[in-house]
Order: sequence, then structure tokens, then C-alpha cells
Amino acid sequence: MPDYSAGNNAMKNSVMKNFIGSRAMPDLVYHSPKEMKDLLALVDAHGTSARVVAGCTDFIPSVRTGRWCFDQELNLIDISKMPVLNEIEKTDDVLKIGAGVSLTRILESPEVKAHCPVLAQAVEQMASLQVRNTATMGGNICMASPAADTVPPLLVSEAWVVIRDAGGEHKVLLTDFFTGPGRSVLTRGQVLTHICIPVKKSNEAAWFQKIGTRTAVIISVVSAAVRVSVNNGICETARISLGSVAPTPVRVSEAEQFLAGKPLDDQVIAECARMAAHAISPISDLRSSKEYRKDVAQTLVKRSILACREALK
Amino acid sequence: MKMPLTFMLNNQQTTLEVDARQTLLEVLRNQGGMTSVHRSCEEGECGACTVLLNEEPVNACLVLAASVQGATVMTSEGLVKNGKPHPLMKAFTDELGIQCGFCTPGMLMNAYALINRAGDNLLTDQVIRKTLEGNLCRCTGYVNIIKSVHTAQKAKLAGEWW
Repeated sequence: MPDYSAGNNAMKNSVMKNFIGSRAMPDLVYHSPKEMKDLLALVDAHGTSARVVAGCTDFIPSVRTGRWCFDQELNLIDISKMPVLNEIEKTDDVLKIGAGVSLTRILESPEVKAHCPVLAQAVEQMASLQVRNTATMGGNICMASPAADTVPPLLVSEAWVVIRDAGGEHKVLLTDFFTGPGRSVLTRGQVLTHICIPVKKSNEAAWFQKIGTRTAVIISVVSAAVRVSVNNGICETARISLGSVAPTPVRVSEAEQFLAGKPLDDQVIAECARMAAHAISPISDLRSSKEYRKDVAQTLVKRSILACREALK
Repeated sequence: MKMPLTFMLNNQQTTLEVDARQTLLEVLRNQGGMTSVHRSCEEGECGACTVLLNEEPVNACLVLAASVQGATVMTSEGLVKNGKPHPLMKAFTDELGIQCGFCTPGMLMNAYALINRAGDNLLTDQVIRKTLEGNLCRCTGYVNIIKSVHTAQKAKLAGEWW
């Protein structure tokens, strides 16, 4: 069986390579399961010809631009109408968001605002209202884009994802989820069902900032999220994450460790931001050069820590 | 895969024969005859194909037609009542929020949803700009579009609205 996964197919490397424009969609069979058992049965039954989608806002352009090619009929399994994946629940210390919840619902959710405001802050800066009304956070994570804006806030919040397959339920820390651009540990037959986020504590603050070539409807050139917990003016723990600077969104642990145990004064923050920028090796691409990305990463980390400090005053 | 698709299109129960690979944009234009839904970028950048899906604005180019089974869809044709233009349309023409007109149907649908959501709260420039961020206009420079939305909201608060 040939491998039709993203970025690995003969068509892309031949005549279609330089074709710019709108391609026809492949033959589709549309499935819209309602129950978890139906979803798992569909995923199991269709094997390599199955694709799980939610909002389709990444799926349709990926096919249209030829990033994904399929030369066989595709079984499209839409999870966005499953009630069990459309809930935002808060238990004792975890916020559990279903993979089918739209970005608009995350943005408007009082639970998210209260318990993970940094996520709402990132979602507000993503795409446009029309896209946010259909796109989901589950989709943003599964596409595994290095520029996914929901991911840095989730990484600093130490979130994990729940993956279902025929064998049951698995918990995977988001730091272990991504394996490369467009790639993750998710395999055929598996579905990401929930995103779980530990709730914010009272001595913590978190901040997200992104820079693009404009402010609205734009892919990040660099994005940064920071979460710090402070006790008596001393930083207890720090979590710093950067997007669009590596093959996956990353945490910069050297800078995190540097900040821990130190007072949040201007000099410490500047040095921490310098270390974060030093730890990454971004590439130059059509959105930006690597030098610019390093400079901006440093500035964004600095501004984000300053914003956290301000919020904790 | 061919399939029958039944949904509410501009307050009318509609059944169309669609292919599962068609987007809502293609179905509305080709089978539904709603040519105000403009096809442009087809990747969610421009907003020219904005329609209301269950009263929320979405890009019709990024919605699979098959997924709107049983849903409510409204296009700017649905704003017209008994051949009379909607007060929102009138505001756009009065305030010159329209020039070439290509982006206008999308602008109208997004603005319509915004004004309905706002209720009695007066919209600010900032809120209008943020909401319309996904609708590109290459003619007006947006200033008159924002004016049009203000004028339309005033018309709604004065009771001229449907």
C-alpha cells in the first residue's frame, strides 16, 4: 500500500509541483458519526483511506493547493457534530476541551477565561471570525504546524491530549506530541478527542504574543507564550514556549531554568530573553529571515515576561 | 459520492443533489443559484464568500456542503424582502460603503450577524474593525464600510430592520 500521508507522494514531486491554483477535491465519502463507538468503528474500518476532520478549514486548502494529494476515494470522518467532543468541562484542577469545540466557543467560554486566559488571548489573534466559527483547537494541534498559535499557550500550561483508539484511551503530554512539521505521534486508527489543561493558580500569570506581517488573519512569523509562578517576588517556576522558530513549537528549558529562583527584575528578564533567542535556530522562509525571527523571539519573550510581572503586581 | 442535501436556505426548505466533495460555496452558486456568494481566494483569506451558517458567519469556501445537512444557511439574497433592499444594504449604498461590490455580499452577512449580536449595545469602530478583519475590500479603504455599519445599527435601533 503506498503511503499517502502529507508530503510523501509521487504526484507532489512530479508535474503537480509547480502548479499554482485550485485543484479538484478527491472523491469523498462523508461520514458524520454521533457516538464515540461509531467514530472508532469508522476509523478502524477505513484504515488508510480515512481522514478525521473537524472544521475543514485546513483540510480544504491543503487539498486545493496540492499539499495533500489523494489518488483514491477518501473517507472523511467529521467529528464536529459529536456531542461528546463538543464540551468544555472543568473538573477540580483540569480544564477539558473537546476536539470538536470551535475556536469561537473557546474564546467566549467563561471557563477558559477564568482558568486558562492565555489560551483565549491566543485564539483571539487567530485567523478571522469566519474561520474561528468553524476551526477547532483539536484540528490546530493535529495539523502540527510549527506556527500553530494555540500550541505555545498549551505548552506553557503543561497541557496533554487524550487519544482514543481500538485499544482504549491514551494520555500524551503535548511536549511529546509533535515529531516534525505536519507530523505527530498520532497514527492511523487513532483520534485526538480531548485537550486537558491544568487550571491557572492564583500566584501564576501567563501571556501570549505573536508577530506577523500584519495583525489580522495572518500566520505567525514568531509567537511566544510565557507562564511564571511567583512567590514573594521570586520566580518559582517559568515556562517559555516559542512557535514558528523550529520544526515544531518548542519549549526553551535553558531560559526557563535560568528564570527559576530569581527575582523578576529588568536585568534578569533581559538575560532570560537573550538565552531563549540563543537556544533556537529558526530557518529563513517566505515569511521571514532567521535573523529577524531570533530578534523578534527575544523581544516577544521579554515583553511576555514583563506582562506577566505586571499582571502579578 | 452523490447525496441529497436538505437544509434551510434563506428561510426556504431546500433539497439539492450534491457531490460530497463540493464545498458550500460551489453548491450555493451552482445548484442553489445564490450568485451573491462570491468565489475568490478559496482559502479563507478574503471573506467574499461569507454566509451565515446557523446564524454565525463562516467562509462558504471552507465548509463542505455535506456538513450543512439540516442546518440553516443565509446569503445576502435572503436580506431582500418583497423586492425591497434591507436597511443594511441601504446603509451601504447611502454611506458609499460599496464601490466595485465584489466584497459587499460577504461584508453584509458579517455585518448583519454583528449588528444582530450587538443588540442594544452601540458598536464601536474597534469592534467593527475586529469583526470585519476577515473581509478584504480593495476599494473603499474600509472607512465608509465602518460608517455604513454604524448607520445600519442606528436604523435597527430605530426599528427599521428585519
